[in-house]
Amino acid sequence: MNATTIFCIAITLAAYLGVRRLYLRFRHPLLNVVALGAALIITALVVLRIPYSEYVPAKNIMTALLGPATVGLAVPLYRHRSLLLRSAPAILGSVALGAFLAMLTAGAIAKLGGMPQDVVASILPKGVTIPFAVEIAAIYKGIPALTAAFVVATGTLGSLLGGWLLTLARVRDPMARGLALGTVSHGQGTATALMEGEQQGAMAGLAMILAGIFTAGFAPLAVWMLGLG
Amino acid sequence: MTQTLKALGQLALLWAIYQGSSWFAAFTGLPIPGNVIGVILLFTLLSLGVLKLKHVELAADFLLKHLVFFFVPIAVGLMEWGGVFYDYGLTLLLAIVISAVLPLLAVGGLSQLLNKRRGA
Repeated sequence: MNATTIFCIAITLAAYLGVRRLYLRFRHPLLNVVALGAALIITALVVLRIPYSEYVPAKNIMTALLGPATVGLAVPLYRHRSLLLRSAPAILGSVALGAFLAMLTAGAIAKLGGMPQDVVASILPKGVTIPFAVEIAAIYKGIPALTAAFVVATGTLGSLLGGWLLTLARVRDPMARGLALGTVSHGQGTATALMEGEQQGAMAGLAMILAGIFTAGFAPLAVWMLGLG
Repeated sequence: MTQTLKALGQLALLWAIYQGSSWFAAFTGLPIPGNVIGVILLFTLLSLGVLKLKHVELAADFLLKHLVFFFVPIAVGLMEWGGVFYDYGLTLLLAIVISAVLPLLAVGGLSQLLNKRRGA
């Protein structure tokens, strides 16, 4: 491991811990750890004239545990299994619809807007949590960093406006609100739902994981319908 | 110390499930990511009682608490892709806003309706 790699890991840890602390203190959706953390690191790299290629080894070391961490999502899913079983048709039906609709509308608009195929593939899974989204995008030749950016943009939008939009549409049922926030804006929506209440938070967490699974399952169909294959 | 060792052992178990699932995905050519298969596999193992929560939760809870950390270095890759936002800014904005608002209302509306019908 050379000095640049060690330096890159150090600034990434510092940016993560710093922004996380700020977020935990103020809990505002715009204090997004991913977006703000990455912006700080990119600024540092640009100022110090370190090209992205020299950051890659550090990235590979730091993301080595992402796979096992993601598998760990089965733990909260299992903990909330009674919630899931009690209203399985409503939960599975609405999350499946939402996941499919999100993929199809995002892909269709991106395609109509004339974006290149790799960008369209990157935007398809942007409603689901980053580890799933990045892997799903990669299957269809998407770009992981772009997918991550779209995921964060969607999550921020959902956590800023989601609750307000649902109220406007007279969705008052706490379960429905949690499901909607988790399906559309993954972890960030789940954090917002948790602030509304425990039931909303649990539902959102459940919806976030299920949306990832449904999105992976429906992606071949969406890709075919959009003519990307 | 024993807690740390226990967490490391659990991490190895999660890693093995992830690797096994990734190999399965690669071997079968399924268009489903290994990590999605891994979640389904671990959930199944827990449901069948093959594994208990106490066999994985120490490591899983710690990793999930810091899950967001892994996304920071991935997002740094954006420094190579700034042009996309410049070239397709409006389309991207439309795509992201519409594809968030429509499903949000669809999921909220549908699940509220299904729930109400069940409750009635």
